[in-house]
Amino acid sequence: MIGDKNSTARSKGALNGVRVVDLTRVWAGPLGTRTLGDFGAEVIKVGDPRLPGDRLGGLYTKLNRNKSSLGLRLDTEAGRRIFLDLVSVSDIIIENFRPRVMRNLDLGYEVLKRANPSIVMCAMPGFGAEGPYAEFPAFGSTAEAMSGVSSLIGYKPGRPLQSGMSYADPVSALNLVGVVMTYLRRSRVSGRGQYIDLALADSPVCMIGEYLVANSATSHVPPLRGNKHSDYSPHGAYRADGDDNWVAIAVTNDDEWQALCTVVGDDRLLDGRFLNFDGRKRAEEHIDAVISEWTAGRDAVSVMTQLQSAGVPAGRVANNQELLRDPHLAARDFFVDLDEYDSGRKRYDGQSIRGNIIDKSDWKPSPLLGQHSRNVLVNLLGYSEIDCDALASEGVTVLNDQPSSTREN
Amino acid sequence: MQDTTDTNERQTEDLPLTGVEVVEVAEGVAGPYCGRLLAAFGATVVKVERPPQGDWSRRIGPSLSDDSPSESSALYLYNNMGKKSVLLDWETESGMDDLVSLVSKADIFIEDWDCGYRETTGISAERLIPEDRGPINLCVTPFGLTGPYSRWKSSPIVQLALGGYLNIMGSPFKEPLMLPGRQPDYLTGLNAYNAVQMALWERAMDGHGQFVEVSMLETLTNLHQATLEMDGNVRMRNGHRQSALSTRAFPPGLATLPAEDGNVTFGGGSVAIWEQVCLMLGREDIVANSDLDDVAGFADLADEMERILITWMKGRTKKDVFMEASRDWMLPVAPVLELDEVLADPQFNDRGLFQDVDHPVAGIATYPTLPFVTSGTVPTLGRAPLLGEHTKEVLGR
Repeated sequence: MIGDKNSTARSKGALNGVRVVDLTRVWAGPLGTRTLGDFGAEVIKVGDPRLPGDRLGGLYTKLNRNKSSLGLRLDTEAGRRIFLDLVSVSDIIIENFRPRVMRNLDLGYEVLKRANPSIVMCAMPGFGAEGPYAEFPAFGSTAEAMSGVSSLIGYKPGRPLQSGMSYADPVSALNLVGVVMTYLRRSRVSGRGQYIDLALADSPVCMIGEYLVANSATSHVPPLRGNKHSDYSPHGAYRADGDDNWVAIAVTNDDEWQALCTVVGDDRLLDGRFLNFDGRKRAEEHIDAVISEWTAGRDAVSVMTQLQSAGVPAGRVANNQELLRDPHLAARDFFVDLDEYDSGRKRYDGQSIRGNIIDKSDWKPSPLLGQHSRNVLVNLLGYSEIDCDALASEGVTVLNDQPSSTREN
Repeated sequence: MQDTTDTNERQTEDLPLTGVEVVEVAEGVAGPYCGRLLAAFGATVVKVERPPQGDWSRRIGPSLSDDSPSESSALYLYNNMGKKSVLLDWETESGMDDLVSLVSKADIFIEDWDCGYRETTGISAERLIPEDRGPINLCVTPFGLTGPYSRWKSSPIVQLALGGYLNIMGSPFKEPLMLPGRQPDYLTGLNAYNAVQMALWERAMDGHGQFVEVSMLETLTNLHQATLEMDGNVRMRNGHRQSALSTRAFPPGLATLPAEDGNVTFGGGSVAIWEQVCLMLGREDIVANSDLDDVAGFADLADEMERILITWMKGRTKKDVFMEASRDWMLPVAPVLELDEVLADPQFNDRGLFQDVDHPVAGIATYPTLPFVTSGTVPTLGRAPLLGEHTKEVLGR
């Protein structure tokens, strides 16, 4: 009785009842569809039965929770037919091949639209479906270079650095969620489908809008000089106690400067000329040296806490292990532990949108390739068990339903 | 680039969010970038700004006109495209009455009031958004309204430090670097837009609004490429080289390196791509002589591989390298474009990524629009408003 009550009270997510066919690989696509899955959409990840994928290193498991897996060869007649059957009962299709791939499979938007006029299809090519670079390959790091973002990172002029996080990927993932949800809503109301061409390289361009706008009008180029800031001073990362421990400090107004002076307590900072931004900017090197002297030998976390208690923006430079133990995120119950089928219990980042997600206790670990093939083929598309086995023996699909029978009983 | 008159004449009735009404009091980038996207998709966005100076981003450089910097901040102009501006002081009793009345008619209310602000002003969310009524209340803050950091001050570099990104940018053991501009704010703006879409979807089902909270730190923590556990390892910054996502090093040559007239980023990650790079360089011998199973030895090849790449790029411009590698060898290689080169790039322009927009104070400038192309009616963006430009139109006085 209590069990029943609990199960009805637990959220199935805002997108319960929405079906997404996910052909995306690597990072940007799977990160975006992960959000749809966290919110309760049925995300069916379609993968080539011949490519079991690299589950090591945790990237696959991190990105594919709350999804099911259908093994399917799109380049076979039977596989293509099954795919179109799936499209006809789905709401969203997402792919991140090069533009020619879906065309060559004769699975372009026009074909999918005939199978399902209200389908929302999002293609995520590197540079876009058309144009001079359309067929060029791109990764998050190279798309970042094209976007202008890398040109703004570095210690000195002429030597730009990459972000190290393949910045085009996470930005595209966020854009993916927003744009498909926007058109899905209209599709539900009007029955009208939509084709969206979301280019990996375009996404980071829109994240430096102010610099591009200014450059177009005044040829302004911000100088490359580490963490130095055109509106805030002092501003940067300061070395704390330890081999490679740092604390970021940003003084964004004159009140914060005075608060910083009180905490640091060094007479060399008590100069009337430093009371405003222009004066501090002129003496930036001197001020940085005094602050660095104070932070050196001090614990990064206590420097941060001391400054924040006084109202100065400061943050310890956390590495991935420290972020995983962050007390604030822990207090907000942000992380989630999932029992992976083949690699044991792992801790992951949760869902940053605090809306109506699936109750975390019902989150599923990432599927094995083909784990849900039989379920999709039989229960969703009406194939018989015998059909399934035949399709598997022909290599059109792969059946890997063992984990669901042993673990999801 | 699209012609400005053409843009203004485009139909807007058919956009996906036509008819959706938004009130925005959020300042800076995160909340306003969300509002900008809503406006681009057809929503009516009323930006409420407090006198005398309005949104703080009006006072942040770079500005387009020295005469009137507060009406020509590129940051404000970009993030507030297509909105209406109403000047109203919600910290006064009558101002709050006006805001309550505006919000009561809206579908979405975007605010960025953190714990401290809520307490000092005594603003009550319950008064603005009565329980079980229509509007969606989107609350965008640096750390959220609960937890030990909820009263802390924030800035982009502070977010990137706490969120684990500073540590992976820049050279090993040197001062770690931040992403340019206000990336945590933009990323949170995108995430906030997604949160609004989820809430709108639910509202269409049950007719109810809801309080939706999005914080910067949680948004950032969702976007790491490697797992946070990383099998117990720490991911380190690696200068011009891409740093590994696991204990297995990337193949050599994944780096940003100088060509004749600028820099080029070599991407990839698989051995197959590395072998293809060696073929392009005419150095099959490196592949033949490398023990790919000797992970440490393979990583030691990095210096030599980069020397070979730099030598090969001598006399080649970054565009030459891009074309040769991408077109002829199908390799993920790209030039590090400067801002003016981005604006002039043939691919971005072929897609209509930029739009020229005129503004009564700032004049004509080129703006990025949206990072996607759609079939049917194209989302479009108008100029940012002057401070209080629509006060009379919206409040009727």
